[in-house]
Amino acid sequence: MAYRVLIVDDSPAMRAFVRRAIRLSGVDVADCFEAGNGREALALLASQSVDVILTDINMPEMDGEQLLERLQSEESLRSIPTVVISTDATRHRIERLTQLGACGYIAKPFLPENLREVLERYLGAPYA
Amino acid sequence: MPEDFLHRAMHESLVDVLEKMFFISILDETPDAAPLAVREEIAVRVGFEGKPSGSLTLLLNRLVARSIAGDFVGVEPEELSDSQVGEVMCELANMICGSVLSRVESAVTFRLNAPEIVDPGQTPAAAATYSAPLGPAAIKVAMVTEAPICSPAAEYAS
Repeated sequence: MAYRVLIVDDSPAMRAFVRRAIRLSGVDVADCFEAGNGREALALLASQSVDVILTDINMPEMDGEQLLERLQSEESLRSIPTVVISTDATRHRIERLTQLGACGYIAKPFLPENLREVLERYLGAPYA
Repeated sequence: MPEDFLHRAMHESLVDVLEKMFFISILDETPDAAPLAVREEIAVRVGFEGKPSGSLTLLLNRLVARSIAGDFVGVEPEELSDSQVGEVMCELANMICGSVLSRVESAVTFRLNAPEIVDPGQTPAAAATYSAPLGPAAIKVAMVTEAPICSPAAEYAS
């Protein structure tokens, strides 16, 4: 099963790194979409279906928390597993993001195998 | 000692970020390394709001910065523009700062401001200088806070 992944981060360098980490992780990805903030992500999701969203928190225009709220408010988007990738690994932040609907959290720095572990956890079961 | 606690957190964070995200092992800390000329360095500052607030400044040898930026993005260093190198250095500083704060401010939420490239000549004195395989005194880190940082254990006890 090849997956369709959406990477949301305002840093093109970070998006390039996440793409590279996905490739190195060995996860089979058919399409890898990119968005620079939550607003761009929602616009892309209006025309593309994805299996998982990997999003940053701090972004201009619409940040990761606002994106999670919007995803939860849309019935057609609520079921997409959304994993937050961020430098802020404090307990309070993770609890808040979980309450907002994030299903997983990857703290930077991370290894490709950390990414694989999380992707398999949320993508593997439905396709097993 | 709060300073020792912060120093250790900075060291662990730098090693962790460079090894996992840039595939680089830094060498020993080199406190007596000769300073580089300002024009040979790139400096990035990340401000943060928390308890306490402050900023972290990262200084890198420009050649080292370009090389590790290439490693991060997965392209040859000479293919990157100066602005792309700066963007990766901002990401590096952001990750190191977030990692340090996650270690020392784990009980509270902090907020990182957008990293910015700053004049290397206007940065605070480096708290620690590290060598990398690409050159001596390649990476320097400084952290300034509005109040001393205590370890979570010390804060809990107070």
